Amino acid sequence: MSLKDAEMKYNREDEEDDDGDGRGVEAWERDYADERSWESLQEDESGLLRPIDNKTLYHAQYRRRLRTTTAARIQKGLIRYLYIVIDLSRAAGETDYKPSRMVVVARQVEAFIREFFDQNPLSQVALVTLKDGVANSLTGLGGSPESHIKALMGKLTSSGDASLQNGLDLVQSLLNQIPSYGHREVLILYSALSTCDPGEIMETIQKCKASKIRCSVIGLSAELYICKYLCQETGGSYYVALDEFHLKELIFEHAPPPPAIAEFAVANLIKMGFPQRAAEGVISICSCHKEAKVGGGYTCPRCKARVCELPTECQICGLTLVSSPHLARSYHHLFPITPFDDVTPSATNNPSKLPKICFGCQLSLLNPGNMPAPCVSCPKCEQFFCLDCDIYIHESLHNCPGCESFRHSKSVVA
Amino acid sequence: MKFQIEDVTVYFPYDNIYPEQYSYMLELKRALDAKGHCLLEMPTGTGKTIALLSLITSYVLAKPSNPVKLLYCTRTVHEMEKTLAELRFLHGYQVKELGPSAGILALGLSSRKNLCVNPRVVSAENRDSVDAACRKLTASWVRAVAIENPDIPKCDFFESYEKAASDAVLPPGVYTLQDLRAFGKQKGWCPYFLARRMVQFANVVVYSYQYLLDPKVAGIISKEMQRETVVVFDEAHNIDNVCIEALSVNVRTQTLDGASRNLSRMSQEIERLKATDAGRLRAEYNRLVDGLAQRGDLLSGDTWLANPALPDDILKEAVPGNIRRAEHFLSVLRRFVQYLKGRLQTESVEKEGPVTFVASINSQVGIDQKMLKFCYDRLHSLMLTLEITDTDEFLHIQTICDLATLVGTYTRGFSIIIEPFDERMPHIPDPVLQLCCHDASLAIKPVFERFQSVVITSGTLSPIDVYPRLLNFNPVVSRSFTISLTRDCICPMVLTRGSDQLPVSTKYDLRSDPGVEKNYGKLLLEMASVVPDGIVCFFVSYSYMDGIVNSWHESGILKEIMKHKLVFIETHDVVETTLALDNYRRACDSGRGAVFFSVARGKVAEGIDFDRHYGRLVIMFGIPFQYTLSRILLARLEYLRETFQIKEGDFLTFDALRQAAQCVGRVIRSKADYGMMIFADKRYSRHDKRSKLPSWILSHLRDAHMNLSTDMAVHIAREFLRKMAQPYDKSGAMGKRTLLSQEDLEKMVNGVEEMVF
Repeated sequence: MSLKDAEMKYNREDEEDDDGDGRGVEAWERDYADERSWESLQEDESGLLRPIDNKTLYHAQYRRRLRTTTAARIQKGLIRYLYIVIDLSRAAGETDYKPSRMVVVARQVEAFIREFFDQNPLSQVALVTLKDGVANSLTGLGGSPESHIKALMGKLTSSGDASLQNGLDLVQSLLNQIPSYGHREVLILYSALSTCDPGEIMETIQKCKASKIRCSVIGLSAELYICKYLCQETGGSYYVALDEFHLKELIFEHAPPPPAIAEFAVANLIKMGFPQRAAEGVISICSCHKEAKVGGGYTCPRCKARVCELPTECQICGLTLVSSPHLARSYHHLFPITPFDDVTPSATNNPSKLPKICFGCQLSLLNPGNMPAPCVSCPKCEQFFCLDCDIYIHESLHNCPGCESFRHSKSVVA
Repeated sequence: MKFQIEDVTVYFPYDNIYPEQYSYMLELKRALDAKGHCLLEMPTGTGKTIALLSLITSYVLAKPSNPVKLLYCTRTVHEMEKTLAELRFLHGYQVKELGPSAGILALGLSSRKNLCVNPRVVSAENRDSVDAACRKLTASWVRAVAIENPDIPKCDFFESYEKAASDAVLPPGVYTLQDLRAFGKQKGWCPYFLARRMVQFANVVVYSYQYLLDPKVAGIISKEMQRETVVVFDEAHNIDNVCIEALSVNVRTQTLDGASRNLSRMSQEIERLKATDAGRLRAEYNRLVDGLAQRGDLLSGDTWLANPALPDDILKEAVPGNIRRAEHFLSVLRRFVQYLKGRLQTESVEKEGPVTFVASINSQVGIDQKMLKFCYDRLHSLMLTLEITDTDEFLHIQTICDLATLVGTYTRGFSIIIEPFDERMPHIPDPVLQLCCHDASLAIKPVFERFQSVVITSGTLSPIDVYPRLLNFNPVVSRSFTISLTRDCICPMVLTRGSDQLPVSTKYDLRSDPGVEKNYGKLLLEMASVVPDGIVCFFVSYSYMDGIVNSWHESGILKEIMKHKLVFIETHDVVETTLALDNYRRACDSGRGAVFFSVARGKVAEGIDFDRHYGRLVIMFGIPFQYTLSRILLARLEYLRETFQIKEGDFLTFDALRQAAQCVGRVIRSKADYGMMIFADKRYSRHDKRSKLPSWILSHLRDAHMNLSTDMAVHIAREFLRKMAQPYDKSGAMGKRTLLSQEDLEKMVNGVEEMVF
């Protein structure tokens, strides 16, 4: 009995360790990784020791700025058909990510799917797994995050080799059927370091290129030439994750819609239905689950069939069904807020213009020791914001509080 | 960009320059100023060639009163073409900056095989037969006959080249071999003979080592070069071996049989000639009385054989009387061949110096040293007299005369070793008589003496102080540059133990230990599972590779490796190896991943690059010492100790480590590339071994990576590969600047005169 207790305790300690140290390196391993903790400290002008954590913040900011500036006036593909290919080969069982690569991947994919639908309400996702040298379609294209996540969590075992070619072939044949206005994308989460293919993979890559499928790969261990080549050819991106945190960052980079491919960028009209929500308490047979349901659900405006969730395609008449808030939420991708400018401390030597508080969160912009902290300002309304608010405004809010309140007050005055 | 190095304005065709290129140019410039020789080590991938070319051409431009010629020696035709392509780019830039006054003439020179445009000639299968086919059409007597009898085939290209005579010149510009062929075809001139003549007028000549080092060829090609010449030996880490090979001869039973055949054919010819044209033999005899040194009456176009010994060592005297007559000479040769046949009958290994060898020839067959010495020239003269054009048939007798002249000329630095069978296969009789040169300085000495500056450069010349001693010269500059990197893209590791903490080594007493073999196998297996794409493994010898691969096969390790990657092996057969390499590359390209097993000192280790994904990791299993029981090596070691005071151990370690460095250096060919290197032997952790590695490897070998076990190495590999897979920032914005623009450079020069890298 006591033995069992001890074991339990031991196990728990183990878990706590893992949680506490998300970067996958044990304390005793750090020696090899040459992580010198004292080097990540620096002394500021007032003699205080502080960790150099600004770097990551700056980095993220830099990246986002780059993205928004390059994509500011670019047409975006808002209707995306994304296949997420998850490698569940032998290599996915490795434990360099804790507790194992596939669990970490599944966790991140789950979060990603939710985020994806949040940002791209008009898009659809499907899951494919690679295992034992074959590719399996886990879920078909659909707009419901829950069904995907449920299907993925139930299938988490790893074995055999991964075949990139089989995966691409399957995805390519499936994506070829979707309408031409949709953006075809594949996101491959690849654990293995090789691919065991039945034929010439270069041909498959050319086929994908021909059907305008944008393939992106996120590797979990090291750079693989064929993946790099695939991404280069099809216009996708290829990154290798350093740790779980980085993996999350990389996956989430795929959530905002990519620039539209020139050939599909011709404006064309898409027929869409805006179904009404069915009245409470009405019993009807839903067309997606083929069973009687009480209340909830939506009715297709063309054939009057009942569907459970939006957005989707009507099972009966094939009409794309969305709700107006979905369209509205997709809107901000087309008109992003302008990136804020950096405010250098030297530029603010004019004491009257020196920012004291952040316009967003109303917190002080001064570091302890009355030194000005790094901040940014909106080029339109010239209000100052702290870095946290900057990121919040650009990534979640999609509205500048300064501009909004200014416009409001102006309209009141007028 | 252009910038000042002291009083020389350097025109550099790129907008940015690496700091090490700048310091390389600085050192080179000082060596040129001092008119001395220099020894420069700089890793591959740092733009050594362009730095060298742009400095030397700019140097010439800056000092027009002192025209310096550049002789650039490469090892392979491929490198030759690459160098010329760089030069063409540079030349284009200089002409753009300076106008037509910067024009130069630069060309590559190679054998007829690579330059001939006559379709009938160039279709012959090897170099010697192309040469022979060419001579059949262009020899002076053939052409003389052809004037009377138009049915005899001639080479149109050669004829029109001869007709154009001194008008046949190349306009200024840079000519690769390809360009020369195109130019020749267009004008209808023979590119080979045109190139050979233009070599004397060209500002830059790019050709192979042999043209300078092998006295047989150098005598013809490089005779007329002026003293104000800069000679560059690129990729010169094996220059001592090239020098030695140039003066070494191997004779086997086949050679002797062939020589006998040649001799009987020649005697038939003599008989025939006696009957038809006795006057010609008579004329030859008279000529020989006057002395071979004045061969002025021979047509210059026919000088296709030159003495194998070095020019200064040939006495300027007449051929001894007893070999002046053709029949007498043939009988001397016959006796010599007979004597050699007798020597090859031996049951045991014999080793002697040239002096004893000559003495024994003299006592047994009555040929003295002086006669031996003149063999080669005498043969040459005789073959011209007999108007023999199919020279490829006469290679055997040439080899014999080569041997005779060398033993007759040199009394030191050589030894003769006769082995009745190969050490490793004692049951198969394969007698061989080897005349081995031990002194690399013999062949290169005339180069150092004749030319103002000789530059020896390579990616691996460490330890740099050994080369001056081996080649017996005094460099005015000898420096080793490191590589400046924006990120640590090479990761050398010394692995001393397996996961079970038992030491690994290919030391003689340890190498067949099953524990060591298993640990090596485990190392490769673990690495195959964490390293993507290509892995290259180097073993110390073919026999060791065979043994260990067998044992891996039996223990199932090989099968485990095959789960991750395909396995390819280098063999003795060139065609097979090429096929294996092709498939290896395909496997890397298609993402299957592959391992290539190769041998240090093999063909792959010397000439094939495993850059980018073709080699993410190279494992050097053991230290590639030479086969220490080889008689040739032992004799050389003895000679080195006695003459240059180089200890056997020192030389062996030096040689092994430069080979190892050469092997691991295959993986990284540019700064954007990355790769790991594992030295798997406990002996690498010893200071005396490790310190002989090139400094650019040593500077990346961290203290923590010097004594690793397999599991630690795997962990480091994982981390390294993750780090390297991150997007590469070329300009080095992360603080380390490795690309200098013109302003940076000026600032650097004004600020700190001396930058230490």
